[in-house]
Amino acid sequence: MVNGYVPASLQEALEIRAGQDVIPYAGGTDLMVKRRPDAQYLFIGRLPELRQITEDENYIHIGAAVTFTEALADPRVPALMKAAVSRIGAPAIRNAGTFGGNVGNASAKADSVPVEVAADAKLRLISLRGERVVEIESFYHGHGTHDLGPDELIAEILLPRTGLDHWYYEKVGGRSALAISRISFASVFDMQEDRITKAAAAFGAVSDTVLRFRDLEAMLIGRSVAEAKDMKPAYLRAYDERLQLTEGRVSAQYRKRVCLNLLEDSLRTFGI
Amino acid sequence: MDTISQSVVRKDHGDKVSGRSLYTGDYAPEGMLFGKLLRAELARARVLRVHVPALPEGYYYVDAKDIPGDNNVNMVLDDSPVFCRETVEYIGEAIAMLCGPDEETVGRLLSACRVDYEKLEPVIRLDEAHESFFDYTYSQGDTEKAFAEADKIYDEQFETGYQEHAYLETQAMTAEPEADGRMFVHGSLQCVYYVRNALQRVLGCGPEGVHVMQDVTGGAFGGKEDYPSVLGCQVAVAALKCGKPVRCVFDRREDMACSPKRHPSRCRYRVSVKDGRVTAMDVDIRFNAGAYSTLSAVVLQRGMISAPGVYQIPNTRIRGRAMKTNTVPCGAFRGFGAPQTFFAVEMMMDHIARDLGVDALTFKQAHLSRQGDITSTGGRYHFPVPLPDMIRETEALCDYRRKKEEYQKPQTGRFRRGIGMSLQFHGGGFTGSGEQDIIKAVVRLRKERDGTVEILAASGEIGQGVRTTFSKIVAQELGLPLERIIFEYPDTALVPDSGPTVASRSIMVVGELLRRAAVKLRERWADGEVQEVEERYRAPDFMIPFTIDHFAGDAYATYSWAVMTAEVEVDTLTGMIRVLDACGSFDVGTPIDRNIVMGQMEGGFLQGIGYASCEKIASDGTGRIRGASFSDYLIPTAMDVPQLRCMLHVESYPDGPYGAKAAGELPLVGAPAAFLEAVEQALGGVSLSHVPFTAEDAFSVLMKGGEG
Repeated sequence: MVNGYVPASLQEALEIRAGQDVIPYAGGTDLMVKRRPDAQYLFIGRLPELRQITEDENYIHIGAAVTFTEALADPRVPALMKAAVSRIGAPAIRNAGTFGGNVGNASAKADSVPVEVAADAKLRLISLRGERVVEIESFYHGHGTHDLGPDELIAEILLPRTGLDHWYYEKVGGRSALAISRISFASVFDMQEDRITKAAAAFGAVSDTVLRFRDLEAMLIGRSVAEAKDMKPAYLRAYDERLQLTEGRVSAQYRKRVCLNLLEDSLRTFGI
Repeated sequence: MDTISQSVVRKDHGDKVSGRSLYTGDYAPEGMLFGKLLRAELARARVLRVHVPALPEGYYYVDAKDIPGDNNVNMVLDDSPVFCRETVEYIGEAIAMLCGPDEETVGRLLSACRVDYEKLEPVIRLDEAHESFFDYTYSQGDTEKAFAEADKIYDEQFETGYQEHAYLETQAMTAEPEADGRMFVHGSLQCVYYVRNALQRVLGCGPEGVHVMQDVTGGAFGGKEDYPSVLGCQVAVAALKCGKPVRCVFDRREDMACSPKRHPSRCRYRVSVKDGRVTAMDVDIRFNAGAYSTLSAVVLQRGMISAPGVYQIPNTRIRGRAMKTNTVPCGAFRGFGAPQTFFAVEMMMDHIARDLGVDALTFKQAHLSRQGDITSTGGRYHFPVPLPDMIRETEALCDYRRKKEEYQKPQTGRFRRGIGMSLQFHGGGFTGSGEQDIIKAVVRLRKERDGTVEILAASGEIGQGVRTTFSKIVAQELGLPLERIIFEYPDTALVPDSGPTVASRSIMVVGELLRRAAVKLRERWADGEVQEVEERYRAPDFMIPFTIDHFAGDAYATYSWAVMTAEVEVDTLTGMIRVLDACGSFDVGTPIDRNIVMGQMEGGFLQGIGYASCEKIASDGTGRIRGASFSDYLIPTAMDVPQLRCMLHVESYPDGPYGAKAAGELPLVGAPAAFLEAVEQALGGVSLSHVPFTAEDAFSVLMKGGEG
């Protein structure tokens, strides 16, 4: 038996969330596998309020219950996000799996999260108390834990509308489909007036949380391509020192060398 | 195409695709008790005491003391116990079974059981194993002399890992005491008579005391050859004690951790070469048998007989040992010992050719066996060996030589390619004189008054299509429509012992018996009468008698042949290996239903690629199987081999039905060598020696600058 609530509206969902110990459920591709007979679920996957993709001046808002398949079909969703999402599971899983679920599951292996981290995405969290918008990076505390209050729900993911045209994405799985990431890597690069304004690199599935090192990125910010080229060996060395990775289905050493290879290759594609 | 080869709708198709088929776990649970096994947590230990919680009414604890007969499951050496003896010999060995009407309660009681152990020193790794269950040696010619006269001697070691069957339906058996005192055991299995024979011994009864039926079975691949005898005895002993039906269905983790797997192997090949030809092979094969001997004797024999591959090697000395370790027992798996040695010999030939500076395929072709040549055991290849034609066909299909040359040039980009080809055979049926001396297959056909004909044979449908292909053979010979032929899931109370559903023997051996029986029935056909005919196995006259003591004579009546290629692309940034193309030419004689045979060829090929690449499972230092789940143990998906092209080359066999030979196992055997040869080329001509070969393995070769 599955015990749970099927709220008719977001308001009702928030009321249940505030009053009961429930696990938010949107898609359930992980929760089904980790089925807990003693748990109560809050089925929010069909709430219309959470299934929208909208835009404002600065952000694309992807509702927490938007599925990966829906996002892949939407012209507003950036190509970088599509590159990552298209490699998740297999069609049936992408039909069910949602953006909110991928974030809320708090796994460093979640394939949409490195993109969100590299893109400086934000999360809008809501509760009966109101709402707050947090940086995706600060949302995670460590393996399996995050900053979602017991009465809160993830409402939407906010992706910047601009600055995501130059991107790089790679996933290393044990096979070509239905594979949990062993390494994932997303990077975003931008320039204004011949100066590098963004060189974000996010490493997924290699540690307790998705990794990003803003202080190392700063080595390239404000520089010209030629200067960045000169800086490249020191930049790669710095990552080599900072990437302290965990062993999993593959060794920590393998993860590290592949991460550095991908980082270097991404610079190459950006002309550095 | 022969009429018999034209594809029909499978007999099991409708029920399976519509969900009407009842698998063991689908039968109504009313009145049934659920059994769960208490399993050892240490690889080797004396069991001092089991603390069982107070059991509610209707719940039972069953162990070795409840066995009325003897605590040995009938296989080869009969060393596998039903429930453990004084010691447990591997993690997961069954100590006892808890049974009761509510499955969750049984689970709770099971986790409340505590076992006191006296820990004993286990042997975990193959290279530290010192006790062998079996140790055979056979030889031909004068190996010492050949080595003494050699221009060069090569000495290499090859390793293969476990492989998990990954059938869709896990191990599942039910035992039901019947009103007349018989024990009825049914479940997911390949060999009804193996289970029946095991039950007789454990229950201490005659053949009249027990009968065994196959339920609809969701895949097997060899994994349900011996193990259902173990589980069948466990549920039967429990059902006898409880006086009620008892069912046990494994969950996936339990199945992967505790049921048999393919034997990991380590093969050392010493090979002498004189004037550019291989003159001798001295081969030392070690298989990791696990804690009990199960079927290791026969798995090892087939591996040893296949050790020189498809080649004519004048002098051979082959030693094979099945080593005992305190790990899960290994058993039968599609290919049955041959994939391990074929992998080794194909890689060895490849490495020697590279060292000699000659093309590997040309080198292999110069050593090919031909019709009339002697086999590794001094038998004869009595029938044509179509490998030269099959090589030509496969080369043409995948543009082999051009690609091999192109990929030989230095590659500098991110993605690097390679192509490999392997050659192999699979001997049809039981090894040696097994068919004649041990199995002695019997089949019957029973004609009803209305003219329908029922096949009475013990072969089980395990997805290979035998319900359909047997029916086609009988229908063809009697000139009847397929619907008039009935072939139900076998029950030992109703069908004679036509032998186990193993060794790619069903069509070639049992199918031919059915054809002959059908001829007999046709000749005696009388409308409106009930008629029954019987046919018994007899070895073909041409066979040279085989003695296992000396590994001498015809190990197999005939051989099926395969040529397989794989083309791969390695990503130098990540080590990931993508199979771009996989081609095969397979000679299984006349296909009895083309679709079914092609399904076997493609499925086996892909299963072999998985074995060579992503399918990795291991026991850790404590002897525990790691990665016993489908998120850790990755079998290839269709996305992993986008292009898989199989062809049939028909060299018909006069003693098989309409010319059919063995089919089921052949396509797996050569896949690992084809794959790894391709990877060797993509990595710049390194010498590799183990499977599974993963992205991380490829990456470490790249990091070392291309040294295997």
